[in-house]
Amino acid sequence: MNDRSEAVAGPESMLSAWMKMATDFWGPVMKQWTTAVDSVEGQPEGPLPRTMASWSSYLKSLTALSASMGEGGSADAVLKGIGVMPDVLLRLLEGAWNSTFTLQRQLIEKAGRMGASVEAYQFEGLDQETFKAWAEIYKEEFQQFLQVPQLGLTRFYQEKAHRTLDKFLLLQNGLAEFANILYLPMEQSVKVLQEKVAELAEKGALPEKPKDYYNMWVKILEGHYMTLFKTPEYTQTLSRVLGACEDYQATRDDLLQDVLKSLPVPTNRDMDALYKEIYTLKKKIRALEKKAAK
Amino acid sequence: MAQPGIPVDLIMAKLVEDAEKVGKRAQKAADVMLGALDTELGPTAFRIVYEEDRVRLKHYMPAGGVQLKHPLLIVYAQINRETMLDLQPGRSVIKNFLDGGVEVYMVDWGYPTRKDKFLTIDDHVNGYMDNIVDFILERHQLSQLHLMGICMGGTFSVIYSALHPQKVKNLVTTVTPTNFDTNQGLLHIWMKAIDVDRMVDTFGNIPADLMNFAFLLLNPARLMIDKYVGFLENMDKRDFVENFIRMEKWIFDSPDITGETFRQFVKDCYQKNLLINSQMEVGGERVELKNITMPLLNFYGKFDHLVPPAACELLCQRVGSKDTEDICLETGHIGIYVSSKCQRAFSPKIIEWLKARDQPAGRPRRAARSTASVAAASGGKRRAATAAKAKKA
Repeated sequence: MNDRSEAVAGPESMLSAWMKMATDFWGPVMKQWTTAVDSVEGQPEGPLPRTMASWSSYLKSLTALSASMGEGGSADAVLKGIGVMPDVLLRLLEGAWNSTFTLQRQLIEKAGRMGASVEAYQFEGLDQETFKAWAEIYKEEFQQFLQVPQLGLTRFYQEKAHRTLDKFLLLQNGLAEFANILYLPMEQSVKVLQEKVAELAEKGALPEKPKDYYNMWVKILEGHYMTLFKTPEYTQTLSRVLGACEDYQATRDDLLQDVLKSLPVPTNRDMDALYKEIYTLKKKIRALEKKAAK
Repeated sequence: MAQPGIPVDLIMAKLVEDAEKVGKRAQKAADVMLGALDTELGPTAFRIVYEEDRVRLKHYMPAGGVQLKHPLLIVYAQINRETMLDLQPGRSVIKNFLDGGVEVYMVDWGYPTRKDKFLTIDDHVNGYMDNIVDFILERHQLSQLHLMGICMGGTFSVIYSALHPQKVKNLVTTVTPTNFDTNQGLLHIWMKAIDVDRMVDTFGNIPADLMNFAFLLLNPARLMIDKYVGFLENMDKRDFVENFIRMEKWIFDSPDITGETFRQFVKDCYQKNLLINSQMEVGGERVELKNITMPLLNFYGKFDHLVPPAACELLCQRVGSKDTEDICLETGHIGIYVSSKCQRAFSPKIIEWLKARDQPAGRPRRAARSTASVAAASGGKRRAATAAKAKKA
């Protein structure tokens, strides 16, 4: 019991024991180190090598620190510090918790807004509107992370990489939307074919050859495509996917320019400048040739 | 027992029958596909007589002798290749012309590379085309030639004839878009919607694969499904397979389109419709259609989904010539050149029309060739034209 009561006597005894031990330890280590350094054979006169000097300085600091901690005033100050430690820790924890909670809350709010930002679509016409909805969600909620301003020496490269990723994601969305709109006539044509077959069945006029059914379907499909291709929706989707493709290619090329710059090869930009010069020169020469021929 | 509404038994029987046929066909098809196939394009012999950058000039001589005093220069489009006019024996516009005694020159625009992206319509029309025309005229010691344009090459020929009317004796335009203010063809609708600046700035030259994909999308049911179903049904027939592969080769043998030319073509023609209204400018000069005073023969296809009749049929009304003729054939954009029905209505008509308008011959300056005795006197006319041009300049 006594041992136990001594062990929990308080921080004072623990601190005195630790300081004594530290001084007892670092003092001889310092002495050993100095002796060892001095005894190195062939050691030239003058300053110590950088590593040794650094270690010597570090050991001296530890010895001095241990010694100064042993003084009465210092120990009191440390003890006071230890006394207020739980309070400080609590405050630090509280601050960290609050920050994390706020971040979580913001993320949850953002997630909640994902629904709100596409509420207009209601997801009822899911087939048609899914891609628009996803594009909107992406633009409203995710794109901003790729548009965060970058800092430091490599900021331009990082921004280009983010921009390329952004355009790539938009292109994927555009391609999916385009593929979907191209699939619509297929779906519709099968439905119409079924109705037509049902009609013919009622009349008892069903064709016997499977090829006749195929011909019927292709004709319906062709009609549906012709109708679709003339709609403004299709033209807009086509323009969007073409635009997305061009955006991606432009940003990707921009990124690759930087990579190529570090290699011993000319970039497209270099070659274009050269081609332009050759083009202009050729044109001038031809004009002069024609003028001279007259 | 009553007859069922759906003759399932008959349909199934036909299915089984078809499956057996497919099996037999597949066996034969393997022999055809694995055997030697003649799928070469452009079988008619020619010589390259002029080259400038990527552009070449093919020269075809009739074996049976030249019957026209003026040669015919054919200018193809920048989309796809001129080999379409000489696709195969029996379906060759070139061969038909040669059989009719027409000496033919044909422009091969080649495959543009990145360095060609700056070339404009002006560079093609007042540059390459004019240089080629001058070369032919010099070679024949003539002051004029017959000019025939195909599709976009027809548009170039119209522009050329308006800017250099003194060098063109007769003009033949085939499936040539000149009026772009129509929504008949899907291409016209789509071209109005695209951001051509962004496209050219991004790609430089317009990639051929992109163009081909766009063309396939004009009718996916037929061009991406039905066409290949037809191939599967006939792949045991060697002739069919050879013809089919030739056409496939031609369709997908596509050069890129030079960027700046495409930009101007889309903006000035498809989007602003300047050409038909004589408001287009090429090389700083206005393309005045009233300058086209030579005889004009204008062919187009009734079922052409790329260049619909509405895009072609205004030309004859807007030119200055009093000798014009519109001919609308009941076919599509390519059928006009390759369908066996049109082989009879197309080339013979052009030969006959040119023969009727080949006189008076361009007078030769000096006797240089077998036809030169007629060609020599043309120097005076040519010099006069050159003098007029110099005065104008």
